[in-house]
Amino acid sequence: MGLLYELQEKYKTVSIVGMAKNAGKTTALNYLIEEAMDDGVRLGITSTGRDGETQDLVTGTEKPQIYLEQDTIVTVPAQLYDLADAGLEILKKTKYSTPMGTLLICRVADSGYVQIAGPPAAMDTKKVCAEMLGYGCELILIDGAIDRKSIASPETSDAIILSTGAVLSRSMRKVVDETAHIVNLYSIPEMEAGEARTLIEENNCDDRIMLIDKEGEITKLNLTTGLGSSRFIDDEIDESTAYVYIPGAFTNSVIIDIDSKKLKQVTFILKNPTKIFLNAMDWARFRKKGLKVNVLKNIEIAAITVNPWSPAGYTFDREALSQAMKEAIPGMPVIDVRV
Amino acid sequence: MRMGANRRLANIKTRREIGLDYVVQSIDLNTPFGKKQLKESKPFFPGEEEALAAELDKVEAMMDFVRQSGKLTEQIQEIFMEVKDVSYSINRAASQSLSVVEIYEIKSLLLAMRRLRHITVREDTSLIPQEYVLEDTTDILDILDPRRDRINTFYIYDEFSERIHELRGNKRQYEISIRKEQKNRREEIKQQYGILLTPKFDISVSKNSADFEKIKAIEDLELADQDYMSATFQLKANEIVYEYMKKMDELNVELEEEEERIRRELSLAISQHAQVLNSNCDKMGALDVALGKAMFAVGHRCVRPEIVPEHIVEIEDGRNLQVEDILKEKGKEYCPVSISLADGVTCITGANMGGKTISLKLSGQVAILAQYGFFVPARKAKVGLSNYIQILIGDSQSVERGLSSFGSEMEELKIMLDNSVERTLLLIDEIASGTNPVEGLALSKSLVDYLLQRPYISLITTHFETVTEKDGVINMQVRGLADVNFTLLNREIQYAKPSERINIISKYMDYRLYRVEKQGQVPKDALNIAKMLGISSEIIEGAQKYIK
Repeated sequence: MGLLYELQEKYKTVSIVGMAKNAGKTTALNYLIEEAMDDGVRLGITSTGRDGETQDLVTGTEKPQIYLEQDTIVTVPAQLYDLADAGLEILKKTKYSTPMGTLLICRVADSGYVQIAGPPAAMDTKKVCAEMLGYGCELILIDGAIDRKSIASPETSDAIILSTGAVLSRSMRKVVDETAHIVNLYSIPEMEAGEARTLIEENNCDDRIMLIDKEGEITKLNLTTGLGSSRFIDDEIDESTAYVYIPGAFTNSVIIDIDSKKLKQVTFILKNPTKIFLNAMDWARFRKKGLKVNVLKNIEIAAITVNPWSPAGYTFDREALSQAMKEAIPGMPVIDVRV
Repeated sequence: MRMGANRRLANIKTRREIGLDYVVQSIDLNTPFGKKQLKESKPFFPGEEEALAAELDKVEAMMDFVRQSGKLTEQIQEIFMEVKDVSYSINRAASQSLSVVEIYEIKSLLLAMRRLRHITVREDTSLIPQEYVLEDTTDILDILDPRRDRINTFYIYDEFSERIHELRGNKRQYEISIRKEQKNRREEIKQQYGILLTPKFDISVSKNSADFEKIKAIEDLELADQDYMSATFQLKANEIVYEYMKKMDELNVELEEEEERIRRELSLAISQHAQVLNSNCDKMGALDVALGKAMFAVGHRCVRPEIVPEHIVEIEDGRNLQVEDILKEKGKEYCPVSISLADGVTCITGANMGGKTISLKLSGQVAILAQYGFFVPARKAKVGLSNYIQILIGDSQSVERGLSSFGSEMEELKIMLDNSVERTLLLIDEIASGTNPVEGLALSKSLVDYLLQRPYISLITTHFETVTEKDGVINMQVRGLADVNFTLLNREIQYAKPSERINIISKYMDYRLYRVEKQGQVPKDALNIAKMLGISSEIIEGAQKYIK
């Protein structure tokens, strides 16, 4: 059985997230849909925001509509309903509005091309997915955010498929390294359940930086962002500090001024790995210094799709790219979507 | 005063100030039809007592229903929540073909009507008045639901016509034929050249690869895409495939025409049933309003007002709903007030913070709610209908309009007196308090003289006690702090936080009204209260000196 069958066994919802604009997200989606047909998996398709338009609105590149097989469950805004080439049975008119009209949940009654769109707010995507699962689909593919930095909530789906490709850089080495770095970041360990985790979860409602010492004592800093505040954090860390919770972005400027002894002593806790904005080199440097980072929720990567073609006009050797990616990220399914 | 269709019982400001708007907004309505009907509802005027009694009967019947069948009420409301206003689509169906989404919405509405009708015709719900029972719409539902599965989905189903079934079948057949033909050729290429195409019948190959030239030479493949590194070839369509594709295109045109024809047919069927659909929507709206009114009355412990021929307003233990709701949120009780009004002038006098204005508004609220066919917030109430209800009260709007408080008060007073007719209810709050006391008092007294001779119920709150001395004026006084043990109160105030003081005073305040028969000492609590609220003793003692 193929990849989709395995995905469907493990997850209910999978987001497809691009490493950058034009990393081949739609190509990947089309590939996965075809795989699903071959594996006999009944799919649900939605997106965060509108997708499947014939022209990519940002770069003007061609963006094909998506061909859907009979019985696929799909979300379509009312104004795009009549434009669909496929025959769509309306199952429900949802309460979510999009710029293209109210969102409908439809069943594909006659196979054909459809422009899909989902609720504009990521938090509504989860609710729509629950309704779609109620209509009997086995796996929902969410055409996710344009690039990984804008995934508002990783809670939207059970896992992601990361689309990467030549568009990232003219250097294949760099494409592979950056992708491996992201995969690396996303597999940062989740903070273990226990007293300290409970303390953070109960007290992080106001999005403040928190320090927790070995006795379970909480110190809240009057800062909402850690940006440029490494000196203040350094001031607050004493011998008994065990965890530092950073609610916002985790960048160089959060840790640059922290004493190296203190840096070794504490564990930084983040909401999720999308909060990390350290490049591969800095990340490796700080790790060597003893930086420990845990997240409250990590993001499971189910597979990586690679696109050797860049809209800027250059291409990598497809086999070399797939091979390099597989070597850099052992154990991860790597799919060339252009084959 | 306007008569006829535009006849107005009370102006916008009065409806807002005495709390009719508050009640209307608090009523929980779930259908667009109900919301519209309530917004457009008209009051009952003198002479329409019987119609009003019938309306109150309906509210009473629905209250019984709400009390006895909580579960059914919930079910009905759930149905109502799904209902959308599709009257625009229903009306345009006569001349236009509705879109699939519109037809879906009408089918949803029909399914909601079906479920509602099912509930309302059951025997145990005979409490629901017949006028709210929907007409049967199964015939039009059957047209939109050819499979009779009664599920809330819609599509131009194959069952709508033999022809669409046939066309779609043919289209599918061609799709399969094309795929079959392509698959055969893929197999041939595999056999002949050892090249395997993808399931999409294409192949990408690197230009450096040994296969590149070989693939390039295959006649059945054409170059689809290339760059300096690689090229993508795809299977050329052959004559047979072209023939199928041409036929499919033709089919698509026919399909579109047939779908349009079906939509037109369905639209016409809908339009033929427009009358029953619209009248069912009206009935749903009426039921929604009746349920909303009944639930409001039950929830706010309202009673049926007794509608009497004479022009009076008698309230036993009345509660101003707006204030009561605020107090309830703070966990406090509303102190009910009784008042009895008839043609003539009644004054409310008494302590500051004694709730004079709230009681004034309460009188208006009970009177206007009764005239709009609502139950009223009291233990008992008797209401004789009015032709005109108007409140005169200072508000921030006059300041926004750039008028002085006295200027706008006089302007409104003129409108009020000009519009007053027989059976008028006038509510006047602190007349002429914004000008010098000598002229203010004179004006108040003269106004009272004027009103005494008119067939109006006039209720006036005032601090000028001599206003009440005139023969025929009824004086209702707030008990206020008269019976309070000041030692106790002062002790509590002493230790309280400044912000708590106001709450403590209101805790001790007796808001009830008493009729003062003989002219006696009007309680003067202003200085007491000012002192308790922390005004310095230098000023308070100074003021006391002036009183002596």
